[in-house]
Amino acid sequence: MLNYIWGGLVIFSLIFAIISDVRDLSRDTYRNGDPLPVHLLFPDGYAESQRRTDVEVHVNASVYKEFYGTEETPADTYAGVLVQTADGRELRFAKDVVLPEPLATVRSTSSGSDNELRAEVTAFTPTPADTAVAIQASIQLPRVRFVKMAAIAQAALDFAETAVTIAIGLIGALALWLGLLRIAEKSGMLYSLVRMTQPILRKLFPEIPEGHPAMGMIALNLTANMLGLGNAATPLGLKAMEELQTLNQTEDTATNSMVMLLALNTASVQVVPPVLLVAIMGLQINQLFFSILIVTLISAVVAVIVTKLIGKLNAYQKTDPALIGTADAGESTETSD
Amino acid sequence: MEIVRTVIDVISVFVLPALIVGFPLYGLYKRVPVYEEFVEGAKEGFEVAVRIIPYLVAILFAIGMFRASGAMDFLIEGLRPLLSVIGIPADVIPMGIIRPLTGSGSAAVVLDMINQFGEDSILVKMAATMFGSTETTFYVIAVYFGAAGIKKTRHAVPVGLIADATAFIAAVFVVQWLFG
Repeated sequence: MLNYIWGGLVIFSLIFAIISDVRDLSRDTYRNGDPLPVHLLFPDGYAESQRRTDVEVHVNASVYKEFYGTEETPADTYAGVLVQTADGRELRFAKDVVLPEPLATVRSTSSGSDNELRAEVTAFTPTPADTAVAIQASIQLPRVRFVKMAAIAQAALDFAETAVTIAIGLIGALALWLGLLRIAEKSGMLYSLVRMTQPILRKLFPEIPEGHPAMGMIALNLTANMLGLGNAATPLGLKAMEELQTLNQTEDTATNSMVMLLALNTASVQVVPPVLLVAIMGLQINQLFFSILIVTLISAVVAVIVTKLIGKLNAYQKTDPALIGTADAGESTETSD
Repeated sequence: MEIVRTVIDVISVFVLPALIVGFPLYGLYKRVPVYEEFVEGAKEGFEVAVRIIPYLVAILFAIGMFRASGAMDFLIEGLRPLLSVIGIPADVIPMGIIRPLTGSGSAAVVLDMINQFGEDSILVKMAATMFGSTETTFYVIAVYFGAAGIKKTRHAVPVGLIADATAFIAAVFVVQWLFG
């Protein structure tokens, strides 16, 4: 099941990325190769000989909307620098300036870590006379293709790195919590809780005879679960299952008690949340203690009722090992799984 | 009901300190060598952190890709109208799908949501409550029945999934009621 879901996540990512990139190509979302008309204003004046000149870029909102076929509205003016290079003039938008789509995407795919949108300036013919007014120009933005393809690859790499950073960061909180739980375990907190749960459990497992060791194991397993002692709970649960198997009339069919144990395990009342969650949530976990306790109380009650009710269904009655053992043994085992 | 919320708000401040102080105190009372046992348990912290790395990487990168491709938005927006009828935010759906299958993977989902919505977000609280309230049902069934040699699990799977679904839905409403 997990294999399919995990595989599905990866495959659907690829499919979606391809669909979105092909759509971008067919709609020409990024107008690759087409010059965007802008106005350049030089607050400090413009001189041909100067290598770097501060500039204000004006983009007409309606021209922009028309050009890209978008509803996004650009800001009135963007700060930038006009740089004279060997290949011509290059307009560099100020670092980290807020850009509308699709310019933001163009920037994020074309610029590296510096987050600076660079465009080639074409059709720019300043005359020394009009330095104070906006000069018409066109800018050629970097070509952008297969945005999503690059994005999913980048995401995969980024998240792989994040996962390790997070795990390493959790060491401290995990150590603290596991140390505390170890003290709880060694001080026999489990056994004092077992005594409290025993009377309730008697009612839930009517098939277990008085004084059978299965009962003790079940109580230990469930209380370990309640305290969030995951590491201790699993071996106790396995022991409980083995004890229940000694009461089983059949070899390979689950008894009602086994199903009940499973139900209580999957919907166990959680007094202390799982270690991993405590480590992740930090102080936030304070409040979550209560939401988790309330939710698990609800789900435990529902699980018990549902287990008892579904167990009464004809299909499950027929396969009940306890009933098979007394009535016509062996015959009905094949009827359903 | 308002009083319950206030009381829980106040008590919740004391929960963590009470446990952090209470466990060693109880241990001392029971004459347990608390320091040595603490260190012994804390040693596992490193192991656990390292052990979950492969699971975190597997689920985080897959979800990260799924989100980056736009498929996550598509799925969530697609489910939103359907789920809003019963009052469940579609953003918590990934947790519902991943939770019965993998525990560390669900931790990855919580981490991804913290990244997305911030630690204080009510969506993160819902997802965290779901994580804390349910079990890795399929894993538990596989391991427990495997140990006893049971092949015919009868109503164990439906019951486990009904319990998960109950906790999932209850988490949404309880968190909304407590913190909304």
